[in-house]
Amino acid sequence: MVLSKEELKEIELTLVKLVQEEIGPIIKEHTGTKFDTYEDKANQVDLVTVVDKKVESIIKEALNKKYPTFKFIGEESYVPGQTKISKDPTFIVDPIDGTTNFIHGYPYSCTSLGLAEDGKPVVGVVFNPHLNQLFHASKGNGAYLNSFKINVPKRPLTLQKSVVGLEGGAERSEGSGNFDKKMATYKNLLSDKGGYIHGFRSVGSAAMNMCYVANGMLDSYWEGGCWAWDVCAGWCILEETGGKMVGGNPNEWEIPIDRRCYFAVRGGCTKEEQKDYVESFWPHVAGPLEY
Amino acid sequence: MKVSNNQGKQGSCRTKNQQNKGKMTTSNIDLRSIEKFLCKLATEKVGTIIKTKSGTQQTYDLKTGSRKVDIVTEIDKQVEKLIWDSLKTEYPTFQFIGEESYVKGITKITDDPTFIVDPIDGTTNFVHDFPFSCTSIGLTINKEPVVGVIYNPHLDLLISASKGYGVRINGEDFDHVEKLGSMGPLLLNKSVVALQPGSAREGKNFKIKMATFENLLSCDGGFVHGFRNIGSSAMSLAYIAMGYLDAYWDGGCYSWDVCAGWCILNETGGRVVGANPLEWDIGVDNRTYLAVRGTKRGDEKDQEKYIQDF
Repeated sequence: MVLSKEELKEIELTLVKLVQEEIGPIIKEHTGTKFDTYEDKANQVDLVTVVDKKVESIIKEALNKKYPTFKFIGEESYVPGQTKISKDPTFIVDPIDGTTNFIHGYPYSCTSLGLAEDGKPVVGVVFNPHLNQLFHASKGNGAYLNSFKINVPKRPLTLQKSVVGLEGGAERSEGSGNFDKKMATYKNLLSDKGGYIHGFRSVGSAAMNMCYVANGMLDSYWEGGCWAWDVCAGWCILEETGGKMVGGNPNEWEIPIDRRCYFAVRGGCTKEEQKDYVESFWPHVAGPLEY
Repeated sequence: MKVSNNQGKQGSCRTKNQQNKGKMTTSNIDLRSIEKFLCKLATEKVGTIIKTKSGTQQTYDLKTGSRKVDIVTEIDKQVEKLIWDSLKTEYPTFQFIGEESYVKGITKITDDPTFIVDPIDGTTNFVHDFPFSCTSIGLTINKEPVVGVIYNPHLDLLISASKGYGVRINGEDFDHVEKLGSMGPLLLNKSVVALQPGSAREGKNFKIKMATFENLLSCDGGFVHGFRNIGSSAMSLAYIAMGYLDAYWDGGCYSWDVCAGWCILNETGGRVVGANPLEWDIGVDNRTYLAVRGTKRGDEKDQEKYIQDF
């Protein structure tokens, strides 16, 4: 089964309607109000709320009804080691991306709904109801911010003159490998003896970082530890604006959606510039991240 | 040399500002009307320029003798001139300190009413079109921030305050007591902290900063819920005042980065101390800052504890 461009657009618009009318208002209404009710997930800082679960079940139900043959993978219903992304059309969904933001009322929580087919992102919808930013795209149909088509302005892309999305993440034990490697990578990128980049930004949501790379507000986003549902929707939006996704570890030019370690680079420049940018970035990665 | 000192200029002094031989106090200056004037200036004149020029300035200068990540555009200078001209016309006796006209070692903040202005805070954001550049206009009297106006035209977010008159968001009174009452407790390991590496990327301060970030994040250290970096000191302070963030720690920024936000934060029960331990009482030009949000009524001691834990 291969979905046509028209079918993909129809799915995109269905998701847009769902997030605008149902999901967005719930997130907006409940943000910052659930401080005392979060459960501890993997550890103290990975926060998951009742609302997260409720939102996922609403999305799952709506999509099952309309697209009963499609598979569904959601952050809250994911089973480690068992849930696999097949070649079938599969919705890959983060009901609330940026849960810490959601708990704290920081206006960067969003809902992120992607569709993958043959293991590749083909539809992506990300909605931040606090800032009223709705990013949406489907393969071959271009990408939009609210009702405006995204055209990334042409700008040169070099590592030193770039602003990179970087996050602290939830895994924080020193000596455990990944946390130390991440911190060392940040230092390499910032230092005057290293990348000496213009700066980094953290908004606390992988999906929002992906969207900001997609529309050229960030030059790139480097991440390890997040999941397919954090990036699937944003990945499709990124590709529709001429951006490129590769692995966060060196020399991984082609990666599966659930690689858990990513490097997203904006469009608005030549393929050659993108390739050079990736190749100038990777040497600053302080040892391969392992997931 | 652009630090204006027009006191005594004939004819243009306003009656209410004339008794300026002794110390100027906030009681004889209408802070609310200054706030309103600054809001109008920020939204009607400055905001449009920032919004339309954001992301279009691919030629920019490095600040004189400065690092190659410390950038300034033509627009920064133009906007500062526009603000300066407007303020000088309306408040001819007030002093003016701006990022672009500051002269190291010469410009000093006095007890006189002084506008402290960052025409475009978050210049890197401005160059890259990251939607967190803003204009930040503050007023100090006796070196204390008493009016603050911050406008982010990308988000169309105007936040303003004057001493004793609380805070307004897009012109509407902001009920910080209600907001703080709805928030969780202020505890280091449950907080979200704004952190920025700044432009000094060498030597001791850079090392200390990176080590502090790591300490705060590490599960063996502060183990904060997370950090955020939006690349603008003024917006970070505004976000704390609005209850979006719990704290902001920085070194290397200047009075114009914090003056407006400081006043706004004060009006919501927040507090600014030094970034280095035990600096409880600091001046606007301290260059290192730790800003912390207010607390629920009755939990005021949590703020002091938070600062000590930090």
